[in-house]
Amino acid sequence: MNPAAIQSASNLITLLASVMLVLQLLLAVQSMLITNIRLFALQSLLLAAIAGVVGYAYGAWHVLVVAALTILGKVIFLPWRLERLVRQIKIEQEIRPFVNMSASMLICGALTVLAYVVARPIASLERLGSNTLAVAIALVLTGFFLMINRRKALTQVLAILTMENGVMLAAIALATYGMPLVVEIGILFDVVVAVMVLGILVFRIRETFASMDVSKLNELKW
Amino acid sequence: MLLTSILCLPLAVGLACLFMRPRKAVEFLNLTGFAVGLGLAVKLFQTVLAKKGTALTEWGGFLRADALSAWMTLLIAVVSLATSIYAVPYFRRDMADGVVSERRFREYYVLTPFFAAGMLLVVLANSLGVMWIAVEAVALCSVLLVALYNRRTSLEAAWKYVILGGAGLVLALFGTIFTYAAAIGKTGEGTMPSFNWSHLLAQAPHLDHHLMTLAFLFVLVGYGTKAGLAPMHTWLPDAHSEAPSPTSAMLSGVSLKIAIYALLRFHILATACLGSGLSRNLLLGFGLFSMLLAGPFILVQKNLKRMLAYSSLEHVGLICAAIGMNAPLTVFGAMLHMGYHALAKPVLFFAAGNIHQQRHTLDFRRLGGGLGRTMPVTALLLGLGAVAVSGLPPFGLFVSELTVIAGGFTSHYVWVGIVMLAALIIVFCGLLNKIAGLLLGPGDAGQARETISAWSIAAMGLPLAMLLLFTFWLPDSLRQLMEQAAAIIRGAP
Repeated sequence: MNPAAIQSASNLITLLASVMLVLQLLLAVQSMLITNIRLFALQSLLLAAIAGVVGYAYGAWHVLVVAALTILGKVIFLPWRLERLVRQIKIEQEIRPFVNMSASMLICGALTVLAYVVARPIASLERLGSNTLAVAIALVLTGFFLMINRRKALTQVLAILTMENGVMLAAIALATYGMPLVVEIGILFDVVVAVMVLGILVFRIRETFASMDVSKLNELKW
Repeated sequence: MLLTSILCLPLAVGLACLFMRPRKAVEFLNLTGFAVGLGLAVKLFQTVLAKKGTALTEWGGFLRADALSAWMTLLIAVVSLATSIYAVPYFRRDMADGVVSERRFREYYVLTPFFAAGMLLVVLANSLGVMWIAVEAVALCSVLLVALYNRRTSLEAAWKYVILGGAGLVLALFGTIFTYAAAIGKTGEGTMPSFNWSHLLAQAPHLDHHLMTLAFLFVLVGYGTKAGLAPMHTWLPDAHSEAPSPTSAMLSGVSLKIAIYALLRFHILATACLGSGLSRNLLLGFGLFSMLLAGPFILVQKNLKRMLAYSSLEHVGLICAAIGMNAPLTVFGAMLHMGYHALAKPVLFFAAGNIHQQRHTLDFRRLGGGLGRTMPVTALLLGLGAVAVSGLPPFGLFVSELTVIAGGFTSHYVWVGIVMLAALIIVFCGLLNKIAGLLLGPGDAGQARETISAWSIAAMGLPLAMLLLFTFWLPDSLRQLMEQAAAIIRGAP
């Protein structure tokens, strides 16, 4: 592989990773549930695209397999499953977070800056793109914040999924080829099963509490 | 073949139960499956001992069992067998009372073998990535079991468990990836290094120190959440109290220790790589904090199963702190404590299950006192179990706690020994006080006497009998196994 091609692949990866971060910030301010799910699907598609670029540039077929599986699992299947769940339980569309939208935007911005600071000492270990690791850490941190900030069970699930996207981005940034194939497939399988299980729980919570607001889950104390 | 069969047996049982119609057959399959599983686990521990320090591997190193894995396998096998015995009368009665539907009954019997299989994969997998996948699988099986009753509170507990556990596991995955990256940093571009624990350990000094430090921190928070280390323990009392009693026993008896096991693998790696006491001191700190936190909560606890859950928190803390001290005696004590705790805690949860089925509450105030009169057998076994877990002789937890504390005193950790003693005394007072109030006193004359099945007595009596037996007569082979496991944790080659 010639250096010029590697260089352009690296640039492309940086671009795709930063768009992933932009989508994460959009998630923080987007109040419609269905749109949230689609933003997540788009973010996963970008992750798959990064894996695809890596696989193509380095000629690593197993990364291409991972990209294909990501598209199948996280871009097509999970969003479809979640959207069906939303329709099944006929929940109201609007998300009402604890912290309002503009404040959450500011907090997410601050967390992104923090991620860059944290990533600086280990940035030299990055193998692909520049700042990819910082973006990955930012995704995990903002995902964590979104999880705490959301009332609705389903949006908490989405937040965890975006955290997982961040972790997988870190795997690509740090290790070029991602993890060994069996591990990648296992993780993807686990995530898909996790969402099914969470879906079952959301369904039962909705039936029992006539709501999906997790702040109503407050009977158990110390 | 041995490791493969240990893993495949519960999987096969779970799959068979999925398609089996008669309820008796489902129960029978679970029972025999776990009984054979225990036999295989004993065989594994003998094989590992016979290999004298070299690990048993299969599938080209994909599965690997050293003394530590063999010891954990044994614990999983014992607790799941006791649980499967107890589940028979428990769910028969729940079915008769109409508390669980046929569907939920099957859900339990299908998910429990998968739960066990997941835990076995955690301890037998060599690759750290596969280990993470297995921990996640364990969490997913157990969360559905926690939500089995579908009550408002059990759904709440399950939701907290899955969200907190999920966030924890994402952090653990982050740490796992950092570990992998630490290995790549040195082996050079282009090659795919192995992600096997044994391989990483062999070249631990060459791993990237900075990344390995970060990795351990993430893994500590991640798997620490699953192990219920304070302050990440908030899901633990909820999940343990709302799950059906057989599941509570599995959660408390082994699944917490499985998370500790996963943490230990990284602890060994980090210590070998960094050559410093970082991971050791962190384990010690988190362990002591958990022990100290558990005491006050036990003193003011109003619910029997929640109190038992906090007692588990205390024991997990003790195990971590003992490993953190890193003296030969304390680490051996921690291994011993894991074993004794795994025998004692399920008995308490089983007794709590009997009480709940009889009185439909676990609230101390509503239960009042005098259970000794209305439920004599359960009360006796609960009392014995409580004496055991609060660390009184003649039960083994006394010996293991004493070993740990003595180890602390003889290895420059006098203050740790004193803090531990203080925490243990608080828990001891709280636990025995509550249990005594529950069991003694005049009974409520209006209450019907319990009818207890032989299954239930066997499920509670056998572990207690084993606990007593192994307290006074610890077979030489078991002691060797635990010593080898302790040596592995302390970084033996």
